[in-house]
Amino acid sequence: MITVGIDAGSRTIKAVVLDAEKKQILASGIVDQGIRQHDLARDLVESLLAKSSLAKSDIHKTVATGYGRNLLTFADRAITEISCQAAGVLFRCPQARSIIDIGGQDSKFILLDANQNVANFAMNDRCAAGTGRFLEVVATRLNTDIFNLGNLALSAQKSASISSMCVVFAETEIISLLAENVSPAEIAAGVISAIASRVVAMTGGKVADPVVFTGGVALIQAMQNAIEKQISHEVIVIDQPQVSAALGAAVLAAR
Amino acid sequence: MPETFANGVIGVTDNKCDQTPEKNDCCGDSQPCCDSKPTVTNCCESAPAATSCCGGETKPASSCCESQAPASGCCGSEQASSGCWGSAAEENPLLGRFNNMIGNCLDYAIHAKNQGRPLVGMMCEYTPRELIIAAGGVPICMCGGSQDMIGPAEQVLPANLCPLIKSTFGYHMQKANPFMEIADLLVAETTCDGKKKMYEILSKSRPMYVLELTQKSGDPEAFDHWVAELRKFKEELERKFNCVITDEKLRDAIRLMNRERSLRLQIAEYMKQDNPPISGRELIEFKSIISGIDEDLEQYEKSLCELDKTEKQRCSKPVRVLLTGVPMAHGAERVLDIIENKGGLVVAQETCTGVKPILQNIDENAPDPLVAIARKYYELPCSVMTDNNARLDSLRELVEQYKPDCVIDLVWQTCLTYDIESHLVENFVTEELGLGYLKIETDYSSSDSARIELRVEAMLESVASKA
Repeated sequence: MITVGIDAGSRTIKAVVLDAEKKQILASGIVDQGIRQHDLARDLVESLLAKSSLAKSDIHKTVATGYGRNLLTFADRAITEISCQAAGVLFRCPQARSIIDIGGQDSKFILLDANQNVANFAMNDRCAAGTGRFLEVVATRLNTDIFNLGNLALSAQKSASISSMCVVFAETEIISLLAENVSPAEIAAGVISAIASRVVAMTGGKVADPVVFTGGVALIQAMQNAIEKQISHEVIVIDQPQVSAALGAAVLAAR
Repeated sequence: MPETFANGVIGVTDNKCDQTPEKNDCCGDSQPCCDSKPTVTNCCESAPAATSCCGGETKPASSCCESQAPASGCCGSEQASSGCWGSAAEENPLLGRFNNMIGNCLDYAIHAKNQGRPLVGMMCEYTPRELIIAAGGVPICMCGGSQDMIGPAEQVLPANLCPLIKSTFGYHMQKANPFMEIADLLVAETTCDGKKKMYEILSKSRPMYVLELTQKSGDPEAFDHWVAELRKFKEELERKFNCVITDEKLRDAIRLMNRERSLRLQIAEYMKQDNPPISGRELIEFKSIISGIDEDLEQYEKSLCELDKTEKQRCSKPVRVLLTGVPMAHGAERVLDIIENKGGLVVAQETCTGVKPILQNIDENAPDPLVAIARKYYELPCSVMTDNNARLDSLRELVEQYKPDCVIDLVWQTCLTYDIESHLVENFVTEELGLGYLKIETDYSSSDSARIELRVEAMLESVASKA
């Protein structure tokens, strides 16, 4: 049974084509988000099908997730990214009990019970603090990109203290730090540490092992280090953390 | 016309009914308009299921059965984002005169004012309406539920304050609440810090009386102080409105309010059914910002009769939700709409705009009616109390009776007492009651609706996947 999962996120659209019986990912892809996300998502799926020599008629079910999930009218169902993220992580790591997911505009903490059900979850509300968007704003201010920001942070001897968690105010704070001649590396380390503490606060102290870190921001090694340090648990980054919600959507499409 | 006041309840001095009437009174021989055909409200079709229990016959507006089934759409994701009855102009026949609640209350208030009855505005469920009624007054709820009033309020109050306080105060600044403009007195209590300090500003330009609410639950001396506060308030009402509040008048007022609370509770109890005839959004409309209006009490009775004959067809079995936390003043029902539009059914509302104030009646034969009144109000389980274990007890009982699948805790931003108490509620709900728990912290603006929808949907999905 071939299923497709699509995660229409705030910054990118991710899609996975899954052979649900063989538990095998046949293709996956990522494109930048845009205004016509319905078309972007459809084109992405078509290109993945072509890559794996499949026709539309081979697809048993398609599930959409992510903030644009209800706009993808060609999908059979829309399921929240919380359920999909859980299913995607469990596909890769069946013993997982805690999930930290940091995406473009969301950060989430999901607690799973022993039966692989979502037992509890928390996420940021109105504000973009503690998300990939926050890192992007900081990277731009430091004349770099989000991945170099992580490398910069790893090179820091100490970290600057960033107290503001509002993207707008943090930017002002960073300008002040730069004016005080604080190095970009220290600022990067400070920002990453601030985000980690925000995310760790969201767990409400309910972390159970093993802890899996997913979402696009999980690709930043410095972020993983900072979270591990603050949460006092080992944190595992799964393969292709960006597509795990799309993978979960494909897994749930088979159910 | 304002669209925004909270739950109110209060009323008139002449008390005609000593007892809670039988539920089916309005269907008796005197009003032979009801046959046995059920009203079916079908939420799965676009056209209303127009099964009228009265055939095509035209009935007077007050008839208990002039029922065209409502075109209610309550089916989860198939439904547009607007609430079932939200601000839509459509009339819900089950609600009868509550479709025009604010208009009715304004007519009533103006008429009462012309007759020389004092209008007394209230800001909280701790205000003992019985005292105001016994003084011949009309108690009117003044809580603001409009986002539009927040901006004006922030010219004076800090932005970092709960929307209920800001909205109420914004109405004052804009002179946009006609009830506040014609009120003879505003009465309030020392509940949370935000309200308490807002009242000080309000008192500079409005006649205001603040009761000191003691907050140590279960402490006999704290209770005695509350009783003393009510005695002082009684004397103030007598002085200000030149009346004598006798024990008999207090007992009459207790009977009137008991009757109203019982009727409202009977309606709420329909939500215990496996397939309740109304939604939580419809239920919250069954109240009035002025209590004890005769026509309202009659409407509750008529609606009860209608509810017996109403069957709601739902496309799928909804997830039953118990909503707890802050009050949703009239106009601020957004989260309730979201829950029900996403496939939830709010079967119980443990809030001041839900069942919290109507669960407990007052002993009509107590030797000192004032002490009996004080007792009822002192035992309201609001988060300003310490400790507030009574709220957990109430939650346990409501969960047993209404059988929710999960609990959603609504907290207005910067409402510190409910915000902090949510930690205790979460532990209680998840560990002792074994139910899913979701906390939603928001204000009156809709900027975070999509994110709230996501959380609510995820909660409902996780309940459904365990079922």
